[in-house]
This record gives sequence, C-alpha cells and structure tokens, in this order.
Amino acid sequence: MRVSHEIEITPAAVVLNGQPIATNEQGEKMLVELYRRYVKDYPKFFKMDTLSRLGFIAAELLLQDQPVAAVILANRSASIKNDTDYLATITGENYYPSPALFVYTLPNIVTGEIAIRHHIQGETSCYILEKPEQLEPIILSQINRQSPILAGWCECSGPNTFNAKLQIIWNN
Amino acid sequence: MEQLIEQLKTQIIEALNFEDMTPADIDTDAPLFGEGLGLDSIDALELIMLMDREYGIKLADPKAGKAIFQSVRTMAEYIQANRTK
Repeated sequence: MRVSHEIEITPAAVVLNGQPIATNEQGEKMLVELYRRYVKDYPKFFKMDTLSRLGFIAAELLLQDQPVAAVILANRSASIKNDTDYLATITGENYYPSPALFVYTLPNIVTGEIAIRHHIQGETSCYILEKPEQLEPIILSQINRQSPILAGWCECSGPNTFNAKLQIIWNN
Repeated sequence: MEQLIEQLKTQIIEALNFEDMTPADIDTDAPLFGEGLGLDSIDALELIMLMDREYGIKLADPKAGKAIFQSVRTMAEYIQANRTK
C-alpha cells in the first residue's frame, strides 16, 4: 500500500501534499472560499450539506485529473450536522420538512457526490468508525486493483467542527 | 404583481441556495425546469414547501404543478389567486 497524495482540511487550515494552502476564511466559509477559488463551475456545491462540501472540496483539490477506482471514506459522527438541521425543520409548530436537507441525512451521500463529479464507477462506501485507524484494514481489503483508490477520514459534527484527511492510495 | 415576483425570486434564491445569484439574474418568464434555471425534482419539492410556508398554499393536485411551476410568473399568478397568508 502506497500513498501518493494527501490532503488534510480542518476548520482553520488546509494542507495539500505537505504544503499549506492559505485561506482568508475559517470553518464552513472556508469551504465556500475554496470552492470559489479552485472549482467555480459546479453550482450543485451550494446545495450540499457541510459533510459533502468537505469531502467534495478535499477530493477536488486532491484528485485534480487523477482517476481512481473507488472512494472509501469513514467518520465518527455520520451525518449528524445535517440531521440536526433537518430536525429543526420538523420540530415545533413550523412543520415544513426540507427535502433539500432530507436528501443529505445519510453520511454516504458524500461518497456519491465525489463519485458523480469524478466519474468513479467502482465501490463507494462510508463507514461509521470510532477512530480513523480502524479504516486501514478496510482499505487493505479493497485495494487489489490496478488503479488507485481515494480513501480517508471525513468527519463533520458542526458548521465549524470538521476534519478530513483523504489520500490517493495505490496497491504498490 | 411585480412586487410579488421580486419577492418570490428572492425566496427562491434563498430556498434553493443559489448563492451566486440575484433576483435580476432570474428571467421572470424562463422555464424553471430543464432549460432556464435548470431545477431538479428536489428543487420542485422545495418550491412546494415554499408555497405552503410563505403563502399558505397546499398543492392538492400534483398534476397541477406542471402549469404552476412553468416560470416565476406562473408561480406568482397562482400565488396571487390562491394565497391564504
């Protein structure tokens, strides 16, 4: 197993292949700043929940033109941030459930968003794990391919509490 | 009617998260789905919720949606004729 590229995103910092990327904003606003600077042409980004925005931006900066066979992510909090936002639309007297929020009440939606954008037709999985280290045996079981895979930790529990560490991983 | 159209455009931008768009960017008579704004089925559900939440309109007949959601103007005309708040 070999890691060729890696990105880490926290609410205050972005590090791509060991090099920090300067940003003016922090938290959710930083993800929008990165979209406006590096992506620009995918307005569906604005419909995504924070977890999907995080995974999408991380994949966008990391993959660029590198094809991958699969995307395997994991996190601890599933889609709790968006679940909470959705709950707010169905609680109390103002019962107006939001369809746009409802469609993101599953953590694996982030892998689907990445797969659609990068035409990944292999496995897309999102595991709920206690620690990032627990993902490693899962990756090892999936990496018997010629092409690399995109894998890593993509965690979001609030608008300003998230972290992602995604890697391009090869079999050799 | 023009005031309602402008208000509706603002509400659509907010409800559908068109963060880079202003009311002036939306053609009042352009199709909402397909060409024009290019909305999808989830957006359609959001528009139905918007009409309920903001104007007290519950769409009982799903078939009527095609005519109502043709453009911002047809939405505004339907709202003006059927609003309860």
